[in-house]
Amino acid sequence: MSGILRNRAGRFGVICGVFAVFLFIPSCSSRNRIEGYLYYRLNADPTTLDPALVTDVTGGGITAKLFNGLVKLDPHLNVVPDIAERWEAREGGRYFLFHLKRGITFVNGREVTARDVQYSFTRILDPKGRSPNSWVLERISGAREFMSGAAKEVAGIEVVDRYTVRISLARPFSPFLNLLTMTAAYIVPKEAVERWGADFGDHPVGTGPFVMGRWDRNGELVLERNDRYFDGRARVRGIVYRVIPEELTTVTEFETGNLDVLSIPAYEYSRYRRSPVWNGLISSAKGLNTYYLGFNCSRPPFNDIRLRQAAACAIDRRKILDTFLERRGRLAEGPVPDLLRKWRIFHGYRYDPAKAGRIVREAGAVNRRIYFYVTSDQEVVDIAEIIQSYLKKAGLDVRIRQLEWSAYKTALNRGQADMFWISWWADYPDPENFLFPLFHSSNHGAGGNRAWYTNKEVDRLIEAGQTETNAVERLRYYGDAENIIVRDLPLVCFWHRTDYTLHQPSVKNYRIYPVYSIDKGMEVSF
Amino acid sequence: MKGFILRKVLLLVPLLFGITLTTFALTKALPGDPAVNMVGERSRPEIIAKMRKEIGADKGVVRQYAGYVLLLLQGEMGRSYYTNRNVLDDIRIKFPNTLRLALGAMAMAIPPGMILGLFAAMRKGGWADRTISVFSISLLSIPVFWSGLMLMLLFGLVLKLLPPSGTGGLRYMLLPALTLSLPALGTIARVTRVSVLEVADMPFIRTARAKGISDCRVNGIHVMKNALIPVVTVIGLDFASYLNGAVLTETIFGWDGIGRFMMEGIIKRDYPVIMGCIIVGTSLFVFTNLAVDILYHYLDPRMRIYETER
Repeated sequence: MSGILRNRAGRFGVICGVFAVFLFIPSCSSRNRIEGYLYYRLNADPTTLDPALVTDVTGGGITAKLFNGLVKLDPHLNVVPDIAERWEAREGGRYFLFHLKRGITFVNGREVTARDVQYSFTRILDPKGRSPNSWVLERISGAREFMSGAAKEVAGIEVVDRYTVRISLARPFSPFLNLLTMTAAYIVPKEAVERWGADFGDHPVGTGPFVMGRWDRNGELVLERNDRYFDGRARVRGIVYRVIPEELTTVTEFETGNLDVLSIPAYEYSRYRRSPVWNGLISSAKGLNTYYLGFNCSRPPFNDIRLRQAAACAIDRRKILDTFLERRGRLAEGPVPDLLRKWRIFHGYRYDPAKAGRIVREAGAVNRRIYFYVTSDQEVVDIAEIIQSYLKKAGLDVRIRQLEWSAYKTALNRGQADMFWISWWADYPDPENFLFPLFHSSNHGAGGNRAWYTNKEVDRLIEAGQTETNAVERLRYYGDAENIIVRDLPLVCFWHRTDYTLHQPSVKNYRIYPVYSIDKGMEVSF
Repeated sequence: MKGFILRKVLLLVPLLFGITLTTFALTKALPGDPAVNMVGERSRPEIIAKMRKEIGADKGVVRQYAGYVLLLLQGEMGRSYYTNRNVLDDIRIKFPNTLRLALGAMAMAIPPGMILGLFAAMRKGGWADRTISVFSISLLSIPVFWSGLMLMLLFGLVLKLLPPSGTGGLRYMLLPALTLSLPALGTIARVTRVSVLEVADMPFIRTARAKGISDCRVNGIHVMKNALIPVVTVIGLDFASYLNGAVLTETIFGWDGIGRFMMEGIIKRDYPVIMGCIIVGTSLFVFTNLAVDILYHYLDPRMRIYETER
């Protein structure tokens, strides 16, 4: 070193080096953003932004800002007009006449017409396509014939005139308008789909308040404001979604100011709650979800209702919610979330460990081995261990089996688990979306009824609710069905999670919604 | 020398074939169905079946493997199940990022590692040696997910000097490269120390000193050059493993490299991505080792004589 300093060239080099460091340091900053743009985090890239193919919440949330449907949900979960100006339901909900707003254009400048609605819906059902979302529209009259190749077009989608489209259903389905708020029912322009083919998901063209900017996979996905949006102009110039896989990195990026909104990780919740700086900036939304402990009712040991009752009485759900989850949810009375329930539950379950032990003994199931299937998610494993300890006190020998997500789903769909921990999130805000998939006997396994629960009366009530157009009557059917389900206990419902987010003080009018498609990014501003 | 390289390269053929076979078998043994993962379990069975057909999962395993090898022979690696993008194109985009990170990490690890190792050896048994030993063992033992987060908090949040995550120029590269360099620095320092001590006791070093050559020249040239072989091996192994993608570092810092790409492929059961990354990664590993072998020839004349005699 001293040799270097004695040498003239060496001295010059060292001076240059020190100078470069001093030049470099002030130019460095941990801030990394464009002004006027709202910064969100994604934990992974969305698979696609093609409404026909989107199945993930990440993709759904972004497509909601790029596209519109005939109808949409408002913040109170009511179905309101979107591209449709109004609609008429006729023949007891057998068909709907949608009148489109005039002058709405795709971002390529072409006006949206009834033909686009017909094209978009037919595309979802096209047997040559590979849309996983065909179930959303398969209740349209003629959809099944079209999907099977027996018909060349969907009979139930008719273009009446340039701005009117008539949709007939095979039979009345009361939540049909709710289905039309989903991503799969967004309207796309034929020419753009045909131009991009399989790559339409990378180059989405819609009618939404934002247009696709750029998408560097594993980096950033940028949406630019659509200044010609028919329903006003977003207040931010654009939205940048940064792909950050790691949660702790996300927290650091948020606190550095590189993200505007943070979905609060469980382990950071109490810190932010206690912080005088951040506490006032926490937003929450009651989620339309149910977390539950399911039993396989089709085989021993849980085909015996007594053991299901014992398990329900053995676990102090309130205690777990208050301590482990720090009250980040609402105790569940039944499978239908409190936001959607307009009836009473008569036979709820209470924590009663003495009763649980007694039932287990009476059923002759002391030390009965039970295989409890869970995913390898750490929070789930922790909850499983808590449940295991409660059931041990009741006399049941619970063995936890952790599986990778898809292997876990396969095992459940094949009915291999005695008991399992899972959640159900609403596709659309209607009790039917909880009752039909989770409890109707036509949905055993992959359909959603992983408890393999069968009750003909419940089937009948759910079906009656699906076709009933009188709102009061419908709720009565659903209420009766849920009360029977809670009594039969194919699953013990634990809680409905509440989502918490934190935003920067500079972000105004930010709020989160129970359903991702409600957020069009219009109100939020700086 | 040419014969040596040719022999090594020819050996790569059965090796790479074995790698494709093993990787393919392991990938197929993974639980889960990629077709269901892709279209969601609420899809109709016809859609799932169609998807299986589209990705070739409806064929027998042997036919699938034969198809894949054929694809490889054509210089292709298939398309990602999810993005429908050419896997080789994606690897071409991500590999330079991984290479930059690996080179950056090595640039940060090699000079200080070797200097510390040499210094510790020269002060054998003294406080400096002991301090350096503790320091290098600490660097080796600290997991990168911890050191990475600490560096991120310090430079990103507290000092606000560097962006905590992202892929980009030097600003973005410093933290992940530094994180990755720390264990390598520890290893290089330790190996250098041991190797230098071993060489320093050799008779030819004593001869050099007896000839009156300065300490600086003896240590810097005679000792270091002869002590380099194990150090180069360690550097080669570390570098090759970094080229395969430092999964944790790339994930923590959101660095768009091969490691993160492969990790996402594994999570999504995107078989062409997993296969492509493993095959490219293993080939790089093998080629780096080949380069290290060749480097030995220049560093150690005994190797050249040995090869000539053979």
